[in-house]
Amino acid sequence: MAKAADIDVDPFEPFARAAARVVRTRTGELFAHEEGVLDTSDIERVHDMRVATRRLRAVLEIFAPCFPSGDFKTALRDVKALADALGERRDPDVHIEAMEAFSAAVQPVNRPGVEALVSRLRGRQAGGNDALRAALEHMHECGLHERLLSLCDGAEELVA
Amino acid sequence: MKARRVKGLDPEGPLGDNAERIVRVRLDELCSFMPKAADPDEVVALHDMRIAAKRLRYVLEVTGPCFGPYADSAVKHVKDLQDLLGEIHDCDVQLPEVAAFLEELVAEDVAAAGASPGELGKVPNRRTYSGLVALQVHLQARRRALFEQFLELWRDYERKGFEARLAFAVSERSQSGS
Repeated sequence: MAKAADIDVDPFEPFARAAARVVRTRTGELFAHEEGVLDTSDIERVHDMRVATRRLRAVLEIFAPCFPSGDFKTALRDVKALADALGERRDPDVHIEAMEAFSAAVQPVNRPGVEALVSRLRGRQAGGNDALRAALEHMHECGLHERLLSLCDGAEELVA
Repeated sequence: MKARRVKGLDPEGPLGDNAERIVRVRLDELCSFMPKAADPDEVVALHDMRIAAKRLRYVLEVTGPCFGPYADSAVKHVKDLQDLLGEIHDCDVQLPEVAAFLEELVAEDVAAAGASPGELGKVPNRRTYSGLVALQVHLQARRRALFEQFLELWRDYERKGFEARLAFAVSERSQSGS
């Protein structure tokens, strides 16, 4: 799993200034993980982007009062939608991995049932990938990256 | 689970004071799930406690360096708790899925079988049953073992004064953060 960058914080700096710096960093991490997430042969990529989305969502919620309310709500809504789409793809990834490990550990007589379940999960994984593709397209169309950075500018202006 | 609202946050005020307010609410939120979540049948409480742990972990990961040294240890404790609750949650999600899948296969075979027991040897899903039942046994046993680990971990946190020590740590301020 990709480690989040450590961000310098000072307990005595204004909350909004820290908000801008932290959200900018987490936004950068999210978009840095986009490449290859639709590749189902490497499930770690979607995991890394999902974790980056969770971290971004978390810091948006922590620093919520520092951002202009209307723009903040729509940006958070779009980050949540992206997180949901990543979850739709990630959940079957995890289950398939667990079922394959179980199948390898049990007697051969028990494998057909587990393999049938894995086959069902592969269908759900493909559906999740379609949902994720649409969510990634929406993320670009709605200018989420730029809107998040704009929120950070707004927070900084509060304490300029 | 909707997070409790944190009152009194001030964008122009110091990060440390604002973060302290948030951590106090998130810590109280997490601890409020016990003793309810100590009942293995309280699936929703366990799930909500996992979400509460995640929220506390993320705020500590970012703002922990503002506080006293125990805040740093607390991040690891909360992550361990969140991971364990996450594994229990995975079992709680997978068990009904496996049961529903098995039921679906049985229904297909019921439709295909005739009145004679001899025909059961020809139903299409006959070879899948044993693996899915074995999987149910495995998931239930794993869930029980993980739940015991969770209780032991929480007892350990209580013995070591996790809640009080973190509450004290967030009242302290590091000199320069990280």
